[in-house]
Parts: sequence; C-alpha cells; structure tokens
Amino acid sequence: MLDPYYLQQLTIGLSLGMIYALMAIGFTLIFGVLNVVNFAHGEIYTIGAFAGLLMIATFGPPLLAVLLVVMAVGALAGFGLERLAFKPFRRFSDEASMKSRAMREATLMSSLAMSIVARESLELIFGSQFQSVDLSYLINKQIQLGPVTIVNGDLIIFAVALVMFLGLQWLLKYSTIGLSIRAVSNNPLGARYCGINTDRTIILTFVIGSVMGALAGILVGLYYGAIYPSMGFTPGIKAFVAMVMGGLSSIPGAVISAMILGITESMATSVVSSVWADMVAYAFLLITLVFFPQGLFGARRERV
Amino acid sequence: MTALLELDGLTRHFGGLTAVDEVTTHVGQGELVGLIGPNGAGKTTLFNLISGFTRPSSGAVRFKGEEITGLPPHQVAHRGMSRTFQNLRVFPNMTVFDNISVGALGALGVGAFQSVIGGRKRSHEISERSWEMLERVGLNEQANDLAANLSYGKRKYLEIARALAMEPDLLILDEPAAGMNHSETAELSQFITELNSEGLTIMLVEHDMSLVMGICERVVVLASGRKIADDTPVEVRQNQAVLDAYLGGDDE
Amino acid sequence: MSKQLLTKVGMVVLLFVVVPAVLMAFDRGYFYQIATIAAVFVLLAASLHLVTGVAGLLHLGHAAFYGIGAYVAALLGSELEIGFTLGLPAAGLAAAFVAFLVALPTMRLISIYFAVATLAIGQMLYLIFLNWVSVTKGPNGVLLFSGIDFFGFDIESEIGIYYVVTAIMALSVVVLYRLTNSYYGNALRSLREDDQCAAAMGINVTVLKMQAFVISAFFAGLAGALWAYTTGYISPNDFNFSQSILVLAMVVVGGLGSLPGAVIGALLLILLPEVLRDVGDTRNIFVGLVMFGAILFLPKGLFGEVSALRFARRILGSGWSGSADNREVGWE
Ligand SMILES: Nc1ncnc2c1ncn2[C@@H]1O[C@H](COP(=O)(O)OP(=O)(O)OP(=O)(O)O)[C@@H](O)[C@H]1O
Ligand SMILES: [Mg+2]
Repeated sequence: MLDPYYLQQLTIGLSLGMIYALMAIGFTLIFGVLNVVNFAHGEIYTIGAFAGLLMIATFGPPLLAVLLVVMAVGALAGFGLERLAFKPFRRFSDEASMKSRAMREATLMSSLAMSIVARESLELIFGSQFQSVDLSYLINKQIQLGPVTIVNGDLIIFAVALVMFLGLQWLLKYSTIGLSIRAVSNNPLGARYCGINTDRTIILTFVIGSVMGALAGILVGLYYGAIYPSMGFTPGIKAFVAMVMGGLSSIPGAVISAMILGITESMATSVVSSVWADMVAYAFLLITLVFFPQGLFGARRERV
Repeated sequence: MTALLELDGLTRHFGGLTAVDEVTTHVGQGELVGLIGPNGAGKTTLFNLISGFTRPSSGAVRFKGEEITGLPPHQVAHRGMSRTFQNLRVFPNMTVFDNISVGALGALGVGAFQSVIGGRKRSHEISERSWEMLERVGLNEQANDLAANLSYGKRKYLEIARALAMEPDLLILDEPAAGMNHSETAELSQFITELNSEGLTIMLVEHDMSLVMGICERVVVLASGRKIADDTPVEVRQNQAVLDAYLGGDDE
Repeated sequence: MSKQLLTKVGMVVLLFVVVPAVLMAFDRGYFYQIATIAAVFVLLAASLHLVTGVAGLLHLGHAAFYGIGAYVAALLGSELEIGFTLGLPAAGLAAAFVAFLVALPTMRLISIYFAVATLAIGQMLYLIFLNWVSVTKGPNGVLLFSGIDFFGFDIESEIGIYYVVTAIMALSVVVLYRLTNSYYGNALRSLREDDQCAAAMGINVTVLKMQAFVISAFFAGLAGALWAYTTGYISPNDFNFSQSILVLAMVVVGGLGSLPGAVIGALLLILLPEVLRDVGDTRNIFVGLVMFGAILFLPKGLFGEVSALRFARRILGSGWSGSADNREVGWE
C-alpha cells in the first residue's frame, strides 16, 4: 500500500497536471494548425482570469455565468490576437510559406510583443500584486476522499478538462469545422483549392484555442485565489513543455505529458524545496528537445 | 584511370520505400558522368548519400580511396567534394561576393580569433579566390548586389561558383539546367565541359537529355532506386531497360 | 577610406569628449546613471547581435548570461574582495563557460526549438539566482560597495566611471564589429541563411553556432560586471525573462543583422522611455509596441541584412557596411 503522503502528492500532481493540460490543449491546437508558437497564449489565460474577476466584482453572478462571459472574452481576445499578431505575417497562403521559418519566427516575436503589451497594460491598470477575489467564488472547498484530501476545484477542473478534451476530439474528428481545421493544418493550399476558407478556419482555431485558454485562466485563478498580471507566464511555459513532449501536434500526447509533468513536479517537491519545482519542467523540455530535436514525434526536417 | 569515387552496394530506405537500392558504380578521375532517371528514381537521394546529407542504410562510399560513409557533410566537403542543390539554394540576403566567399572560407577555414586580430593572409586568399570565381562566371559586376536580386539563371551560376570556390576535386551538380531555356542550357553545357576539360571531375543529374547525352562520357541510369544501366551515351540510348523505364511508365 | 576614418574619429570624439562634456555641464547624478546604463545595454545588444542578428539564432535567454557576469563580479567583489580588474574578465569567462556547457547539448537545435531551449536555460539560471540563497543571497540580491579599481587606480568620480564603462563597451563593440564584418561573419551569416547549405560548403555548423553563442555570452558577462559595478546592487529580477526580451527588442528594432542597428536600438529603448518618463511607468509597454512595430513594418523582418537603418547606412556611406572589395578578415 502506498504511503498516504505520496498518495496525497500524487493527487496534487494530478490536479496540477490537469491545469497544465487545460492550457496545453489550446496551445497545441494552434500550433498544430499553424505550426507557430503562440507566445500570447499565457496572456489569453490572464485576460480570462481578469475578465472573470471583473464580472465577479461588479455583478457577482453565478459561477456558470462568469465562465460563459470569460469564454466570450477569450473568443474575442483570440480573434484580436490572430488579426494583430498573425494575420499580417500570413502574406502567402501556400504551405511552404505558411510553415516557413520566416513565418514561424516573425509570428513568435509578434505574439511575444503582443503578450508584453497585454501583460504590461494589465499591470499598469491593476498593479502587479494579487487581486482580491470574492472568497465565496473560490473553488477550494475541501473534500475528504479516504486517505487523501482534494478540493471541489479539482473535480471542476477535471470535469472541464475532460469535456474540453473529448469535445475537441469530437469536433476535430466528426464535424465539418474539424474537417476544415485538419485540412488546413495538413495542407493550407490544398484546403483552399477544395473551397475551404483558410482564413476563417485559422481564426476559428484561434478562437477555440483561446476560449479554452481563458477558461483555464479563470478556473486556476479561482482555484488558487491568485489573479495577477503575470500569472500566465509559467503555465504558458508548462503548456509549451507538454506540447513539445507530447509530439507537437498531438493533443492526446500533450494531455498525457501535462499529467506526467504535474505528477513529476509534485513528487519533486517531496525531495527538494518547492521553489525548485519549475526546474523539473525546464529540464523535461531540454531533455526532450535534445534527445528528440524535433519533438517526440515531430515534423521531419525539410528535405535537402 | 583511378577511381576517385566508388559506391559499393549503396542502399537507403525511407520507411518502406527503398529510394536507393544496392547501387554500385564509380567515377574516375577527370570523368564527366551523368546520372539520369525518371522522377523519384532516387538521384537526389544518391547525391545526398554521397555528400553526407543522408546516412546510407547499408553500403559504402569511398572517396580518393578512403571510406567516407557516414561522415557529416562538412567533413565530406573538406575532403574535396562540393555540391549544388536541386532547388537552388543561394544565401538570399547576402551579397553575391559574400555568397561566393562562403565557399572559399569553408574550404580554407577562418577563425574567430584571427578575424579580430591579424589573419590578413588568409583573408587575402579568400578574397582572391572569390574574385577569381566571380570573374569566371561573369558576376563581378554584381558583386555587391544581394543574391536574392539576381535573375534565376545568374543565381544558378552563383551556386556553381560558390561550389567551385571550394576548389573541389569532385563537383556534384543536381539538375543545374532545370528551369533554363535552350540557349542558357547550351551556354551551361559549354561551361561544364570547360570545367571538365580543365581536369575537374564532375557528376551531374539532369533531366535534359540533350545536355547529358551531349557532354557526358558515361551515363548511369537509375529507376526506382536501382541502377539499370551504366554505359556510354550511345549505348544507353539503345538500352532496352532504359527505354522501358522512361517509356513504360512505372512498373511499381 | 577617409570617410571611414572620419566616422571612427567622430565616434571616439562623441563618446569620449562630447558626451562627457554634456554630462559635466549638467552634472546630475541621474544623467551619469542613464549614460552608463545605456552603455551597458549597448554592449548587451551588440553581443546579442552576434547570435541573433548575424548567426540567426533566436536567443531568448540572453539576460541570464548577463546575470552570471553580474553575480560573479558582485560576489567576487563583496565576498572575496577581488576587485574590478580581475572581476571583469572573470565575469566574462564565467558566463562563457556556462554558455559552453549548456551549448554542448543544445546547439543541434534549430529555429523555434533553439529559441525555446534558450528560454528554458535562461529560466533555469534565473531560478538559480533566485533560489540558491546560500550563494546568490536569493531575492535580496547582492550589495557591492567597492568602487572600480582599475589596475590600481581607484575610480570614484562619476565621470571616471563613465569613462571606464564606455571604454570597455567601445572596445568590446569594436571586437564584435570585427567579428561580424569579416569572413568569419560571413560564415555566421551563412548559418542564418541556410545551415544545410553552409554544411555543404565545409562549414562545421554546430561548432560555429557554439562559438557564436559562447562569444556572445562572454560579452554579456562583461556587461553584467559593468552593471554590478555601476549600480552597486543587483537582484535576480535584473536578469529575468523580460530583460532578455528587452535586449532582443533592441536588436530587432535596430534591424537584425546590423550592428549599428543594435546600438541604436539599445539607445532608443533606454533613452526614449526616460524622456517619456512623465507618462508613467510605461517602458515595457513601449518596448512591446516598438518591437511589434519593427517586426510588422520592416518588410524583411528577421531575415535580411535588414534594417530600419539601411538608409542611415547609405547616408553614412561605407563606414558601416564594408564593401566587398576591401573586406578582409578583421581589416576594413
Ligand atoms: N527524406 C525523405 N523521406 C522520405 N522519403 C524520401 C526522402 N527523400 C526522398 N524520399 C523519397 O525517395 C524517392 C527518391 O527521391 P529523389 O528525390 O531521390 O528522386 P529524384 O530522382 O531526385 O527525383 P527528381 O527527378 O524528381 O528530382 C522519392 O520517392 C522520394 O519521395
Ligand atoms: Mg532530385
């Protein structure tokens, strides 16, 4: 029988992993389609959290309403982000230039710039410290489950992550939207010749990914009771790590890697001080990158 | 005639596909050898295997009597082999002169330290050689233009000049005439023969039959990765297997 | 030739006569401070220029190597009483050594994977600055009381410090200029343009990338030492991710691949927010906006020997862009 202490750590790790997964799903979706790193995904998450915070502070509606508004804000933010930071660099829509190095690096930097602007603006408006959240909204009510303690937030996050994951899988596999997303991700030019509106599909991908990001933001904010302008940075990195480990464009891969990451981190804190926990993610990232330079099952290097 | 390059049972699989299948041949010192075959026959893959860009699944490559199988590209290059690419790869945002200088400095070597203090002799060598090549292909007027601004044909010459600036013993050209018109092709074949007559060993992939048949002493034919002929142009033209490969379409 | 000489003399006069004269005329500590900070960031941007602008490797962890230099210099000074004269080279070498170690496994990576690996390395080093309390003093940072001793001379006056910092910066920038404006620089550029093709030309891509990375870290380390000695206090947040981005923005804004661009980018992003100080603490927003604008409006973006400043080069003539016929290794 496992030591209850480790069982508890495992549970904490699972819920941490779930949070990373929540973030990684949207991130991977965008990468898979456009082959670009969306550095501003972390800020979408922050914006989601702040949108929820404002809702709670001004109207105090039921939690479900808060989540719906957050999703709407996320959708809007994703749309805006795509128009501002990605569209201008998609001058040609053939596959070569859409997946070219130039496009990837330019959009990496433009989304990075956008993320700075968003984060710093939030800091200018709200200050860099933690925002106070109405305590009744926090999702940290304890629940005793045999030897381990969890909070209701764990269940909520688990449920949301599961719904998001399954919903997305369904969407991608069985709906026409999913079909066009997959087509664009495979071959943008070909998709266009088949009459798919690539531009709209890309926006849609951003919107879906950003809705998920924003939702993750508010849930985690309420889970920890910590909402602040730079809250998106670390989860953003973790999502990236999960994506790289999981094989770059595989959402199930990213989810599994996020869980591994969460569990490893929480296990690591039983050995070393918790301030070093982030080291685990970076080490994972480097190891994956070094031994699988293109990600675990990532795209091949262009041919000579 | 001593063999400069020897290929021995060279094979490469990509997943289930055998792109190059047990190819054995040689290129003698001073020869001008053509490599032809239908699209997807494995010509570029064979070049990649020779120049170190792809590792063979089995088989060996010997260059100047030494085994070079599995060496990384830059080491192969240092041993005196230089190549051009099928899809024309010049350094677009560098000047024409700088492009060519990369070939020269790749062969001669430059150090970080000597670029800060001293190193005049080496840099003199590099610039001499680069200018020589520039003149050779008639690009000295455009030395300071960005390579991206050259016409397609000139970029082709630039790529060849860059490879020549390494002063290689073996030059491998992957479809140098692709995209050129008749007169340009004629000019190019003139240039290639000239290089060859100066003693440079050349191996060339080309789809333009008149070019290959016109200038090569020997032609190797690949089909579906396998060598199906290795003979003089006149013989190859009458070879039944070659005719089948080209006319009979795919037999896969 | 004479035009180049003129540019050089002009630069020297500007740095060592005009600016000090202006500083002395106003004689405000605050101005000295800005001038030295600007010098430190010019050096940082110039060192990143080597890796990102010339060799085309997107480096997102540069500030960490700057941090290593700063910590080494500050800790040597405050704990072991090893002064500036030895601390400065030690800072550079320490940064270069760490860069060498992390480069060994990561230099095979390309494009965004390289970028993310450097981000991870930068963050790991930052975590070490922040959490290895027994050595780095953690979030409290390190205080460095000793002034600059320069081969036995104690330099205490503000103008003296300005001269030392600027001289080291200028010397380093000259070295970086020679490195990049030579055939060695061409070899690095060929990596940026097409590394596979460079390999076919006999260039050892991995070794060359590694050299660029290590050399750049060395100069970042020097900048760190200068920073530690001019501010007298360092803390982990001086070397976090947003500092890496600030330096990257300087290089991007000036135009990737152009050393004068990097220098001007650094001056722009340090000095302009000071001028706009009244608007509030908007420096970082400004950095983000400027960076975005630079990426968007420089049509060639990252990959040209590009710059917003191409026109400036043209105006200033060949002083900034060696023409092909007189380009030699290290001699222009
Ligand atoms: N890196 C790779 N991965 C998988 N398959 C490859 C790879 N490189 C080449 N192939 C396959 O190997 C086969 C031979 O390709 P290769 O490029 O060598 O042909 P080729 O003779 O040069 O054709 P072409 O005349 O069109 O240039 C093709 O079917 C190609 O798809
Ligand atoms: Mg080919």
